[in-house]
Parts: sequence; C-alpha cells; structure tokens
Amino acid sequence: MAEVRLEGLRKSFGTIEILRNIDLTIDHGEFVVFVGPSGSGKSTLLRMIGGLEPISGGRLLIDNELVNDIDTADRNLGMVFQSYALYPHMTVKENLAFPLRMARAPKAEIATKIAKTASLLQIDHLLDRKPRQLSGGQRQRVAIGRAIMREPKVFLFDEPLSNLDTELRVQMRVQIAKLHEQLGNTMIYVTHDQVEAMTMADKIVILKDGNIEQVGSPHDLYHYPASRFVAGFIGSPKMNFLAGKVEAAHQHGLDVRLEAGSTISVPVQPDQGLIGKPVTVGIRPDDFSSTPGLQGISIALDVDFVEHFGSVTYIYGLAGDETVVARAPKSGSRKDAGKLTLTAAPADCHVFMSNGKSVLRLQAPATWS
Amino acid sequence: MRFNRSTPASLFLNALVVACTLILTFPLVWIVMMSLKQQAEVMTWPPRFVFTPTFENFRVLFDAAQAGATSYGTIKVDFLTPVTNSLVISLGAVLVSLIAGVPAGYVLARRDLPMKEDIAFFILGFRFAPVLLVVIPLFSVFQTVGLYDTYFGMIWVYQVVTLPMIVWLSRSYIEDIPKDIEEAAAMDGAKPYRVVWHIVLPLLKPGLIGASLLIFLLAWHNFALGLILSSTKAPVTVALLKLLNPGVQFYPVMAAGLVVTMIVPIVLIILGQRHLERGLTFGAVK
Repeated sequence: MAEVRLEGLRKSFGTIEILRNIDLTIDHGEFVVFVGPSGSGKSTLLRMIGGLEPISGGRLLIDNELVNDIDTADRNLGMVFQSYALYPHMTVKENLAFPLRMARAPKAEIATKIAKTASLLQIDHLLDRKPRQLSGGQRQRVAIGRAIMREPKVFLFDEPLSNLDTELRVQMRVQIAKLHEQLGNTMIYVTHDQVEAMTMADKIVILKDGNIEQVGSPHDLYHYPASRFVAGFIGSPKMNFLAGKVEAAHQHGLDVRLEAGSTISVPVQPDQGLIGKPVTVGIRPDDFSSTPGLQGISIALDVDFVEHFGSVTYIYGLAGDETVVARAPKSGSRKDAGKLTLTAAPADCHVFMSNGKSVLRLQAPATWS
Repeated sequence: MRFNRSTPASLFLNALVVACTLILTFPLVWIVMMSLKQQAEVMTWPPRFVFTPTFENFRVLFDAAQAGATSYGTIKVDFLTPVTNSLVISLGAVLVSLIAGVPAGYVLARRDLPMKEDIAFFILGFRFAPVLLVVIPLFSVFQTVGLYDTYFGMIWVYQVVTLPMIVWLSRSYIEDIPKDIEEAAAMDGAKPYRVVWHIVLPLLKPGLIGASLLIFLLAWHNFALGLILSSTKAPVTVALLKLLNPGVQFYPVMAAGLVVTMIVPIVLIILGQRHLERGLTFGAVK
C-alpha cells in the first residue's frame, strides 16, 4: 500500500518533450489505469515511476518520499512486463524466488511464499518447468506471481495482456481485478485498450501527446468527458460528432442547429458567449433510438453498412456528409433501413467547443450501479 | 518434405560429396600418416598407405633427454615447452579478454556513451591491421620495458588478436538478451552488478563458451607475435618452424608436431561443445 504523487513530472529526450508537467496523485490501494493512443507517453510515465527511465524534471514521491534519484531496485515496486520478461534459465520456482533471494530472505520464508503465491495464481503444478515450457497465459501468471513475491508497495503493469488471445485476455482481466481486491495494493496499469481501462480501473488517466487529458472514474470519463478527444477515445464504437452552430442560450441549456438539419436544445451549461459559434454535438451510437415519436433530435441516415455482433447490430451511414454509427433497432431489416430516421434524447448529447473542450452537462445520466 | 531424385542425379550428388570429403581430408590424413612413418618411408615413391606405424616421432618430440639419439639421425627438440607456452599464453589471453572484453561489450550494448560507435569501431580496427604492424614497433618497446619473452607480455600483446573479437561477440550476444529481463531483475530488487551476475552472465554462458573457443583458436594459431616477441616463451607455431632445420629435414617429426598442435584445440572443442546449449533465451519473452 502506498501513495504515489507526481508533481510537475517532465520527460524529454534531447529537445523532444515526451511528457510535460504531469501532476497526479494515486491514492493508497487505488487501481489506476493510464490510457492513451500510442506515443501519448503512458509507458514512459510508468517506466519513470519504476525508475527505468530517468526523470527530466519535477518530483516523484512514493509515500511522501522523494524517489527521483533512487534506484529501481530500492523503490520496492513490482512490475509485470508486456513481454513477461521471465528469467529463461530459471525454473518457475527460481523465478518466483528471485526477488526474495535478492532481498536475502531466509530459505524457509521463500518456500512458504512460493507455495502461497503459486496456489493463489494456480501455478503449483508448473513450479519445476522452465519458462519456455509454458503457454502465454501461464507465463503471464508466473510474471504476476514474481511481482507479488516481494509484496511491493506498488504494482506496475505495462500492457500485460496485449500478447494474449482475446479469450485469455478476458480471463486475465478478471484475475488481475480480483488480485487487486485480495491484495489491496496500489496498482498502476498501462494499456491502449479502453475496454481494459473501463472494466478494471478505479481511476483512469487519459494521456495525449505528453499531457494528461483527463483524470476520473470510468463513469465520469464516459459521461462527462472533458474534451472531444476523451469522448472519442472512451466508448466503442466511437461517439458520433456532428457539426452545428449555437443559436441561443437559455436556462435549460444551448440551442444548437445541426448542419444535418434539425435544431436541438441540449441541457448543458448555457454560456452566452457561445451564441453564434460553431460547436460539435456528440452522440454515442448506443444513445440513438429509431423509435418514432421520441422527443429530441432526429437525423436521417443513408445506411451503407451493417455490422452484426450477435447481441447488438450497428448501422453505419451518412447523415448529410458526416459518417454516423448507430445501434440498430431490435427489429427490422436492412431493406427498410435504406433511409432511417434516428432520434436521440437531448440529455444524452454532448457539446464540444471549437477548441475541443466540452461544455459541462447539466443532467446526470441514469446509470446502473 | 520428401524429394524424389532420379538415380543418376543422386549418384552424381553423392559422388560430389565424396569428392569434397576426399579433398578436405587428404592433407589431414597425409600428415597423420606421415607422423606415424619412419623417415625412409616418407620419401618413398609411390607413397605407401600400408605400413607399420611407429610412435618414434612423438617420442622424439617430447623426450628431450634422449632426443639426441634417434634411429635415423640426430635431432634435438623440446616440444613440451612450446606446447606449454602456447597453452599458458592462449588460455591466459582468452581469460584476460573475457575479464576485460565482456564488461566492455556490456557497456557498448546497453549504455549510452558519447561516440559509442566510434569506440566500438576503433576496438575492431585492430583486427584490420596486419599483426606485423603492431609487432615491429612493439619489439623495441618490449625489450626496453622488460616484457620481451615473458608470459605477461605475450598475453598482453595477444589481446590485439583476442580482445576485439570478445568485445564484438559479447556485445552482439548481450544485445540479443531482451532488455526487459534486466529491467525485471532491477524491479525485483537486484542492483546492477547482481543483474549481471545472476541474469546476464548465465544467459551469456553458451555464447561466451563458443566465443572463447573461437578466440582460443585464433590465439593458438598466431605466429607473428610469438616469432618476434619471444624466444624461450615461444608458442608452438614458432617451434614448428624451428623444426625446419637447415640441412636434414625430419619430415615425420614435423608431421608429429603438427598432429600435436592440432590435437590440443580439438580436445578443447570436444570438451566445450557439450556446454553449448542452444536457444537458451527462448521462452523468456512473448
């Protein structure tokens, strides 16, 4: 258990700035996920916390202790690598024992802990094998086991599931989440997969071009994205963005006229300054409905592609000259979907200013919790 | 996969293989045969392939006390000393190169240094120059500082041959070890020197054994350095040359010397080969 605090953390390679002024506090026992597109600096940030990458500026504190210049070996962290990074010349047992051997722990303690960890991760039967004799999922469990052995203050995960196949990835996701419940350690997890971020995190940190774009719970990020970038990054399929112009501001929100046709009154912070300005309205594919008569905006869609997932079906098409994805109605067929009228409730819409920032939503969306 | 070849084609290919084998082994077989013959038998024409082998030539090589009296003339050889010299110098050179070269290779593989590639190229540069280029100026230097004809001086100067190879080979072997593994060890609480000791060196072992065998051969077969910079500490290659006496040529004794010179590395390679495990790093990542 530990608190990790980043104060104005910076990283540059020569003149190229990788990370700029990162301020972030990770609380005791929190499961924090860094997400972002490739090149956003998320892995670099994790490696800086781990001491694998020197810090160019700012302060890194673990439990209020400045660790900028403390060796990786002395930070008491555990890390699981994307490549697993098991020691190929050692058996699973020796791999697990290594962190404690480095700490010069007594043999009896090492044996007890190996037994405990192995049963926790169900790798008891693999102890005498070499890494090359293990499958990908087994290697991943051994790598996690090795990180647990030393009971580190903080666990670092660097895209640990990206080498696994889909089914195994779902299993391991659940296992890591359970592990966090059992151990209660602070965990920092890097991924580019927003599904992993949404399902596992207590707190998500979205990075873009070396800056923190937004920090918040999965719920906050999904329903109150701070910017168009976050809104587009979180959620699958991506949020639809429709160009429009603010016509009026009143106490219930903004009236926006969409280029695609209709005008809607969106319940967001009514800012008089926005009147006459171009904005973008965001609607998630799942928030569309094709039930006729529903109050809200309606968009006419020229359907050109249909994607079946089994449980849901998404329709791709053009509204005006913008591509729109919408969840298909429960019933109907492609034939009568040639030209479809979609409606969405104003409360489900987001409004983004031309600089990409979002206008604060006034109505809290209904959720299951 | 199975290939079906016509009988003439496969006969032809097999004949080629046999021809290659004959061409390659002929000098070897010839020398071994020669080393087991008497002086008189060596010179007969046509050569005889069936004869009574004798170990007389090997006795002459090593029996310094009796050496004066052989069945076919007078020859005084002490071959044991040069073999010992070569062993001491070559093994010493390999050992020193490992101690100095592996850390250098590690730094070149893993650390960011200014002008790193230039340094690496400079080290390799010694392999471009003919050894004589180094030897001639060194001759007077060695005589002045008292390194001439010492094991210490010989091992030192042999680094010209062995060190660049070890630096470059160990550098490329270390680059093949995924960096993640070392970072994982650091995460597990291992200080840099323990990372090297517990992780890097064990993974490097098969590669280093192979590289050591290779540079041992380079050192063992070196001739010019020993010829000019030593006399009593001369290696076996120089001793072989000295068997070429002015006057009577003891061909069978020379052949025996060659056989001995070949046997030492062969034995080492057979011993070392067992340690050359392949694909040890497989399974570490991905």
